[in-house]
Amino acid sequence: MATVQVSEAEKVYILHGVRDDLRVDGRGCEDYRHMEIETDVVSNTDGSAKVSLGHTDVLVGVKAEIGKPRPMVPHEGYLEFFVDCSANATPEFEGRGGDELGVELSNTLYKVFNNRSSIDLKSLCISPGEHCWVLYVDVLLLQCDGNLFDAISVAIKAALFNTKIPKVHLSENEEGGKEIELSDDPYDCMRLNVENVPCIVTLCKVGYRHVVDATLQEKACSVASLIISVTHKGTITCVRKVGGGSLDPESIFETTETGKRVGKALHAPLMELLQKEENLGKKRPKVGFLG
Amino acid sequence: MPVDTKRVRGPEVSQSPSLFLCKTAANKSFTQKDARVDGRQRGQVDVRSVFVRCGLISQAKGSAYIEAGNTKLICCVYGPREMERKDETDMKSGRLMTDMRFAPFSCRERGSWIQGSDEKDLSLMLLESLRPGVCLHKYPRSQIEVNVMVLENDGSVLAHAVTCASMALADAGIEMYDLVLGCSIRQESATYLIDPTYLEENGCNLASGSGDNFGSLTVAFLPSLNQISGLQSDGEMGEDILTGGVRTCIEGCFKLYPVIQQALTKAVRRKAPPSES
Repeated sequence: MATVQVSEAEKVYILHGVRDDLRVDGRGCEDYRHMEIETDVVSNTDGSAKVSLGHTDVLVGVKAEIGKPRPMVPHEGYLEFFVDCSANATPEFEGRGGDELGVELSNTLYKVFNNRSSIDLKSLCISPGEHCWVLYVDVLLLQCDGNLFDAISVAIKAALFNTKIPKVHLSENEEGGKEIELSDDPYDCMRLNVENVPCIVTLCKVGYRHVVDATLQEKACSVASLIISVTHKGTITCVRKVGGGSLDPESIFETTETGKRVGKALHAPLMELLQKEENLGKKRPKVGFLG
Repeated sequence: MPVDTKRVRGPEVSQSPSLFLCKTAANKSFTQKDARVDGRQRGQVDVRSVFVRCGLISQAKGSAYIEAGNTKLICCVYGPREMERKDETDMKSGRLMTDMRFAPFSCRERGSWIQGSDEKDLSLMLLESLRPGVCLHKYPRSQIEVNVMVLENDGSVLAHAVTCASMALADAGIEMYDLVLGCSIRQESATYLIDPTYLEENGCNLASGSGDNFGSLTVAFLPSLNQISGLQSDGEMGEDILTGGVRTCIEGCFKLYPVIQQALTKAVRRKAPPSES
């Protein structure tokens, strides 16, 4: 991850502030930075979203393709995640530098979605054992200012909400084999139910307290962070400890509770916002990348 | 994803015979009151008994072998060596490099020699679990390499890898704050299965059980410091179930601790020069 050098005096300043629930930019320990979400930014995808959280910019594109279902689960489609750390984000990512981080992020995303209720995979099945929809979720990191997991998970939820999968039906052709036909109406499509898609909350341990949405400076002062992925009901789908430090079990329990609370509170306003954006329809002013 | 071009894997459309086997096994439903297949209890801290031995590999600085049920792992430690990359900005402390590989014959289906993303992920988690335990500030500008090879995968591989690696580090004489022990648990609605076998870990995906709280959790723990150095979970669980699971894993680690300590003292005695008599 991109790092900044922080002096000892700055570290002490940040630690003392966090102890009193006052961070360098004036936020409380559980406050997020200003977040901007826009969906449907890339026209070639089936669904896309761009999220900027402070100075972190993430772009997610979802493409639906027809593929063969996995042998163990013939009645379900599946999702494939790929995270690309663009060299635009920081010079460290030039060439193969960003691969390690990209692999770590993709693997965490696979774990987060590795359960039965996040996405209804059965709705992605076209014909059991033969055809299914495969959703390729591609994440592009444009700018890196800490807290990548949170921004990525919000962007994925928004992009999946925005995804329009064309409706297909099977028909028999002359030889008796099955053929897939796309419906003639380009607006006839299936939407995904993203109610249960979890959101990731990263909590960095700074001093004795945990902060949500840490900036790079705060990250440099912490030795360990906990990544928690929470659904809107409060179920936890993935917990991971990252960083080279160790955590006390009691502090882990406290952090999990905070993470669950913050994560749960994130879903309702997000869904409301996405619905509002959807309802604006064609009249919506597109901001895109230069706004 | 790199493809193995040196070996002929058979035609593309061929499928492994184990896929057809599984369908008959899945029909057997695991009810809540059944004892586990190997005779252990559900809902109790019943870890598999382990066999550990240090100092197997003469070429490595330190090595350890662990066997828990049918899971067999071997770990070698090389180092401290001079760091390869000279452009490291932080020269004040050493670097720990971990690598975890599965032998192709270790799982039910033949794996590939090329490292997949699963192995990279496990190596990263092993690194994060071991780093808090090693006194890296005592080895500036050096790197310590830890290589774990899974010989047979019968469940809770990461947990045993952590234990094996910390034993190998101790055997190599690397200074550590404490041993890092690993324990994993499989949550199944109301009960939990500690130290699950491969079938218990993966069998739940086929079960048509409804409801929440299906997941697995792995914890790496430093017993005498009471610190958790690694935590990883997936599946879906409520927060209280997760908390209970972590406490259970900590208990499991405490159960393992005396065994590991004994094995290490035996290894030290064996290495020590014979006393003058």
